[in-house]
Amino acid sequence: MQQKEIGIYEKVLEYISLEISQVLKKIPAEFKANVEEIRLRNGLPLNIYSMNSDYFVTEDGSITKEKDKGKLVTKQDIVKTFQLISNYSVYAFEEELKNGFITLKGGHRVGIGGKVLYGKKGVETIKNISSLNIRIAREKIGVSNKLMKYIIHYPNTIHNTLLVSPPKCGKTTILRDMIRNLSNGLEDFNFKGLKVGVIDERSELAGMYNGVAQHDLGPRVDVLDGCNKKDGTMMLLRAMSPDIIVMDEIGSIEDIEAIHEILKAGVKIIATVHGSSIEDLKSRRSLNPLISDRIFTRYIILDNSKGIGTVKDIIDGNTFTSIKV
Amino acid sequence: MGLMKILGSILIVLSSSLIGYYLGNKYSARLENLMHLEQCIKILETEIVYGAVPLPEALTNVYLKGNKKVSYIFEEIKINLLSNRDGDLYKSFDMVKSQLLEDFSLEEEDVELFLSLGRLLGNSDRADQEKNFKLILNHIKILKEEAKLERDKNEKMYKNLGILAGIAIVIILL
Repeated sequence: MQQKEIGIYEKVLEYISLEISQVLKKIPAEFKANVEEIRLRNGLPLNIYSMNSDYFVTEDGSITKEKDKGKLVTKQDIVKTFQLISNYSVYAFEEELKNGFITLKGGHRVGIGGKVLYGKKGVETIKNISSLNIRIAREKIGVSNKLMKYIIHYPNTIHNTLLVSPPKCGKTTILRDMIRNLSNGLEDFNFKGLKVGVIDERSELAGMYNGVAQHDLGPRVDVLDGCNKKDGTMMLLRAMSPDIIVMDEIGSIEDIEAIHEILKAGVKIIATVHGSSIEDLKSRRSLNPLISDRIFTRYIILDNSKGIGTVKDIIDGNTFTSIKV
Repeated sequence: MGLMKILGSILIVLSSSLIGYYLGNKYSARLENLMHLEQCIKILETEIVYGAVPLPEALTNVYLKGNKKVSYIFEEIKINLLSNRDGDLYKSFDMVKSQLLEDFSLEEEDVELFLSLGRLLGNSDRADQEKNFKLILNHIKILKEEAKLERDKNEKMYKNLGILAGIAIVIILL
């Protein structure tokens, strides 16, 4: 298992300039297997996020908390890394640059910071790149298995479900695995696979690369990559006849409108939201009606008290009582 | 004895004309290769500006669509680019510098222009790439005209000079 994770990490290093990747190759295996983010910042020490905390990497590949010992990343490193990431073809990523990130083969995402240039239609491009954040996508097949029994609604449909989680607690990973389970079907529950429409606004769920999903989402999935939730909802409802629509990180008023459209069409929904409890959600104006109208019948609350992806509670959305066993 | 003289004379004239022909031919080869190169760069422009094809793939397409006499260097650049994984396109362009100078009879300034592609390609958006292509294609046009003038001036001269020099040597020796 660890070997596979290290393999993923080393594949990502191929996108980083030689000088930096050689250093990153030398970090301890335990860290390698758990790296979530690699951060390159112009003129600042090399930074990784692994094992639930961030660390600096020194010239000889050891891990430290002291920033002064970290290997400094030069502008040249950033330029070269960006060339590798964009496959020497910045022009082919114009649209992606406008959104501030590029998706790599394997579904990893690279966030880009720099000088943002505006044109007539909003953000035009990013120049003078100053920082890169490489987020390693870790597909964890099976992480949602124990949750499926709470979501499935007999005989063959599901509850509208909202995953509530603070950042970095694994909600996207869990959501991705839920999609896989729902589209595959689950023999244990005599649950046949359903058609799942995925609105992958931030290209994280499917990790589309050249039109091919880089993560296993099962056989009955249609993905709208990079699409906003409102447009995506209408497109899916009109054309793809989904049984379930999945979206990541709802929050804006428009998202809520989209959810109402989905309900009107009799389609089920699974979504995620940033937050730590139901009370937390209630305090947000756009989300409050969703909760008081009892639109979601299952809330799954995550945190990282026992590692990433700890299920803190599962709440029935009608009675607001915990049903976690 | 007379036969030997005639044979020797013919040999001298023949070899000196060949030298003249070779020297003169360099000029038309330069022009021809510049034209092929221009065609290749135009294909590359189309691939990048209108097709937004990623560079490695675009280079292969240039190789396939362009005149093979010249276009193979684009494939070589691509292979080098993907194998060294260094993030430095210019290095891969620089690799083929000696080939351009020796095999294509190009002048230093032609080669420099071509290498400048290595600094520009791929590191900006399409509109900017288009501008750069325009600039380079304009420049190559000027070089082509210059090459043509040089050819017209020198090719005939060297060829005639070769034959005449051969005849002159024969006359002196006789």
